[in-house]
Amino acid sequence: MENSTQESHHLRSENSVTHESPYPLYAMAVSSSPSRHHNHRIALGSFLEEYTNRVDVVSFDPDSLSIKTHPGLSFDHPYPPTKLMFHPPSSNPSKSDLLASSGDYLRLWEVRENSIESVAVLNNSKTSEFCAPLTSFDWNEIEPKRIGTCSIDTTCTIWDIEKNAVETQLIAHDKEVYDIAWGEARVFASVSADGSVRIFDLRDKEHSTIIYESPQPDTPLLRLAWNKQDLRYMATILMDSNKVVILDIRSPALPVAELERHRASVNAIAWAPHTCRHICSAGDDSQALIWELPTVAGPNGIDPMSMYSAGSEINQLQWCAAQPDWIAISFSNKMQLLKV
Amino acid sequence: MTGALGVRKGAWSEEEDVLLKKCVERYGEGNWHRVPRRAGLNRCRKSCRLRWLNYLKPSIKRGAFQEDEVDMIIRLHKLLGNRWSLIAGRLPGRTSNDVKNYWNTHLAKKVVRHKLDEDDPPGKFAAKVNVIRPRPCTFSKSSAWFKGKATLMAPRTPPDGNHGQPSLVLPHQDKESAWWENLFTDSSSDKGQPDASSWPRELAMEEGRNGWNEHSFDMDIWELLGANPQAVI
Repeated sequence: MENSTQESHHLRSENSVTHESPYPLYAMAVSSSPSRHHNHRIALGSFLEEYTNRVDVVSFDPDSLSIKTHPGLSFDHPYPPTKLMFHPPSSNPSKSDLLASSGDYLRLWEVRENSIESVAVLNNSKTSEFCAPLTSFDWNEIEPKRIGTCSIDTTCTIWDIEKNAVETQLIAHDKEVYDIAWGEARVFASVSADGSVRIFDLRDKEHSTIIYESPQPDTPLLRLAWNKQDLRYMATILMDSNKVVILDIRSPALPVAELERHRASVNAIAWAPHTCRHICSAGDDSQALIWELPTVAGPNGIDPMSMYSAGSEINQLQWCAAQPDWIAISFSNKMQLLKV
Repeated sequence: MTGALGVRKGAWSEEEDVLLKKCVERYGEGNWHRVPRRAGLNRCRKSCRLRWLNYLKPSIKRGAFQEDEVDMIIRLHKLLGNRWSLIAGRLPGRTSNDVKNYWNTHLAKKVVRHKLDEDDPPGKFAAKVNVIRPRPCTFSKSSAWFKGKATLMAPRTPPDGNHGQPSLVLPHQDKESAWWENLFTDSSSDKGQPDASSWPRELAMEEGRNGWNEHSFDMDIWELLGANPQAVI
C-alpha cells in the first residue's frame, strides 16, 4: 500500500479536487439540492480580519472532477461569515437555492443562476446600536422554516424564516455559546464556553438537560455534531484538545468514547451522512481522520480507519448528505474535495 | 480656569496649539506623558494627545463632509450604531469625534424621522421577545443510569437494535428515567411504533444499505490504517 504524500494538491485527480481561493477560507457549505446542471454548489466564506469579506459560490462536477467559479455568484459579506449553510433538501425544490450566513446577523441570500440577492437580514436587537455576534447556526432539516442561532451573549435564538421573526430566544448557557445542532423538529443541543452540552426541547422551554460537562471546569466546548443517522450519539470537541468526545445522550456525563489520535487541536467534526457509525475529524495537525465506532472498544482506545494529510492546518470539514462519497475540507486558502 | 492639579482646562488658545504642534513635530507622537513638560504647556497629558489627534494632526481632512462621506456615515451608522471609531475607520482623514459631531448635529434628527416613517418589516425592529432561561437538569451519578458502568469505554449497543443483551445497562422499561425516549416521539412521524429497542427515527442500520463499503476506500489519498499499523503514530 503506497503511503500518501504530504503534497495534497499533487495527487491524482480522481481522488481529490482542489480549488484555490484568493483569500483564506473558513466557512463552507455544500448544497443538498442539485441545480439543473447537476453541479453541486459549494459556498466558500473568506476569513479576512477586516470588515469586508467575501462569499463565493462555486460548482463541483463529480463527473469531470472539476470546480468552476462563477463571477456572478459572489457577494460581499460584513466580517467573516462564521457559518454558511444551504437550505436543507425539501420535497418541493424551487428554482433557486437559499443560503444562510451568520456573522454580525443571520442573513439569507437567494442563489440564482447568475446572481445572488440578499433576501433578509434577521436582527433581533431593538436598536441598531448593539448586536451580539453569532458564532454558529443550524438549519432544521425537518422543519426548514426554523433556524437556530447561537451567540456570544449566551443566548440561542430560534428564527421562523418564513415570517422573518423570532420564534423563541433562550438564555442557553452561562457563557458564550459556540455551536448549536438540531436533533429533531423541536429539539436542539448547544455547547458553550462554560463547558457543557445542553439539550433543549421547545415544548418545555423552562428546562434544559446537561448531558456532558468538560472534565476540567470551564474548558470551553467548541463544536457539536449530532449524528443524524442515530440520534443517540453526539460528538463534541474541547478547546485546545486533540480529543473527539463521543456522547450517548442516554448516558449523560460519561462519554461513550474519546477519540484521541490527532497530534494537535481538533478543529472540525462531521458525522457520516449515510451511515451511523462513522465520523470524520480534522485539526491543526493537518490531518483528516475517519473513524468507525466499534461496538466494543479495545483497551488502547479506538484507532482511526483512515487518514488524510493536507498541506496545512485544516480549519473546516463538511460531509454533505447529497455527496456522501466526498468530504470537503478547507485549509489556508484552499478547498479540497476528498473522495472516500 | 484651572483644574485640581493646576492644569488649564477649556478651549485651547492659539499659543498653546503652536507649542503643542512644535513639540510633536520635534519629538513625534507617543510618550504623551512627557509632552506637557517638553512643550512648556500647563495642560494634562491626555488633553494634549486628544488635541493633537482630533485637531492639530496634519492628516485630518478639513472642510465639510462630502456627499459620499455622508452617505457612508448613514450606512455605517445603520449597521454599526454609535460606534464612532469603527465608522471613522472607514472614512480616511476623518476623526471619530468629527463623525460623531456631524451625526448629532445634522443627521440624527433626519434619520430618526425617516426610520419612523418607513414601514418596517417585522423582522427589522423586533417586537419584544420574551427571553426564557431554561433551568438545567443534570443526572446524578447514583441514578439507575450508571449501574454497571465501570469504564469510560462503555459498550455500545450494536447498531441493528438491542436484543436484550446482558451487557446493556439501560433499563428501557423504566419510563421515569427514559427522558430521551420522549424527546424523539414525534406525533407526525411516519417511522413506526416507538418500541423500547429502537428510535422512531432510527433508519436501517445495516452497513450495506447505503452502499458505502469501507473497504473500497481510495488507497491513494487515505491511508488505510487497519492494514498498515505503522502508518499512524
